[in-house]
Amino acid sequence: MSASAAPKIEVLRVSKQFGDAAAAPVLRDVDLACAENEFVCLLGRSGCGKTTLLNIIAGLVPPTAGEVRVDGEVVTGPGRGKGMVFQQNALFPWLSARGNVEFGARRSGLDKAGAGRVADELLDLVGLRDYGARYPGELSGGMQQRVAIARALALDPQILLMDEPFGALDEITRLDMQAELLRVWSSRRKTVVFVTHSIMEALALGDRIVVMGGGSIAAIHDVGLERPRSRSDPALLRLHDTIWQGLH
Amino acid sequence: MGAAATRHAAVLQGAGFIVSLLLLWELASALGWLRPHSFPPPSRIAQGAWELAVRGFPEGVRVWTHTLVTLRRIFSGFALAMLAAIPLGLLIGRSPTLDALTNPVITFARSVATLSLLPLVIVWFGTGELSKTLLIAYGCFWVMLSNVIAGVKYVDPVLVRAARTMDTPGREIFTHIVLPAALPRIFAGARTALGVGFMVIVGAEMIGTIEGLGALIMEARTFYRTDVTIVGMMLLGVMGVLFALGMEALERRLLPWHRGLSEVRR
Repeated sequence: MSASAAPKIEVLRVSKQFGDAAAAPVLRDVDLACAENEFVCLLGRSGCGKTTLLNIIAGLVPPTAGEVRVDGEVVTGPGRGKGMVFQQNALFPWLSARGNVEFGARRSGLDKAGAGRVADELLDLVGLRDYGARYPGELSGGMQQRVAIARALALDPQILLMDEPFGALDEITRLDMQAELLRVWSSRRKTVVFVTHSIMEALALGDRIVVMGGGSIAAIHDVGLERPRSRSDPALLRLHDTIWQGLH
Repeated sequence: MGAAATRHAAVLQGAGFIVSLLLLWELASALGWLRPHSFPPPSRIAQGAWELAVRGFPEGVRVWTHTLVTLRRIFSGFALAMLAAIPLGLLIGRSPTLDALTNPVITFARSVATLSLLPLVIVWFGTGELSKTLLIAYGCFWVMLSNVIAGVKYVDPVLVRAARTMDTPGREIFTHIVLPAALPRIFAGARTALGVGFMVIVGAEMIGTIEGLGALIMEARTFYRTDVTIVGMMLLGVMGVLFALGMEALERRLLPWHRGLSEVRR
């Protein structure tokens, strides 16, 4: 483990099996530690178990064996310390963009006035100051995910869990959103666990890339490059090849 | 403003189409292509309408009475159905056990044509107002119930998961997530149920009353007054359209977000 301090998130021998015992496990004895304020990418093909691992860290799904600890405490369910952003639009369609962010802020224990202030601040942060009154259905996919990020941040969580948040966006918007996320992350330091199936996305974002395959961790790569990263940086491309080859 | 202009143009177009159909109809009657007794021309129907408005049919029961009585019956039945179906539907929609238990009963009851219950309802509750209200309520109830259940049951699970990640307590997940998410479906159910009410009323008014549009239509049949039958039909149709528009306006007002959503998806 590269981090010297006690890890923020510890995944300890986590296994997960859906259905009966004869079924193949989705996760098998996964061990992982994430340092405070670290940006960790879980990378793998569809069905490799990365989303299940994220849901277990979130406390949305219980592990079959093993446990997840946050700050040394066993995770037993979802909590305010962990904000989550989903792949599909998970905004509440009956609330305005601002209302959605306020919802998160209210859940973190703020009163109405305080939540309103936080919502304005966060909408500003994600570049949607003028779109607060719009309903999610009136926003583009990229804007919806910005609101979703703002809503997750409104909980003031220490951990941000992101499940392929840009997976449904077009490539161009996706690149914009990666830059946007790094900008937001640099102003609000959080421990981030980011699930993706894009090697380039993982390389653009992560401090570390955890490559998953067949329900366990296949490899862990330290990226160690300054951000913002150039996509044509030879070191980055070399790592891309290493990861790509490791996946076969 | 652009949308309003488009709307006006659409209304004008629709009105123009209807007027030309009526003219064609009148012409067909004047040229002897249609027999005036079976297919009374618009002018004959207008006379019938005038008679209904001034003298009434049967004499003394004027068109306003028929309309108001019918509306009152539809509304009391509809309201009764809403009062019963909404809480019950919310309850069943939340509980998979109750849902599995009641599903066959609901499918069965929905399949029974409401008017086939008419003889039974007369035996149980007589031929008075109660029977008519109950028949309409029965028709509205099952449609509404299945829509409320579906509304609650098929809430997008990702919304519930999102709320859970924000540590929302179960009770609030129901009131703040499931309920608003189910509202469009509940509204659709109410609209359909009201439509059912308009269908059932004619049958329900076939017995024990001379008031109401259904009674008017039956009475006109007895006297071969096809013109009066058509007036009654048209009044029901116009009322149906007006109420559908009213419900739409109400939905736009109460669920502004949903309109935006459907427009984007279109």
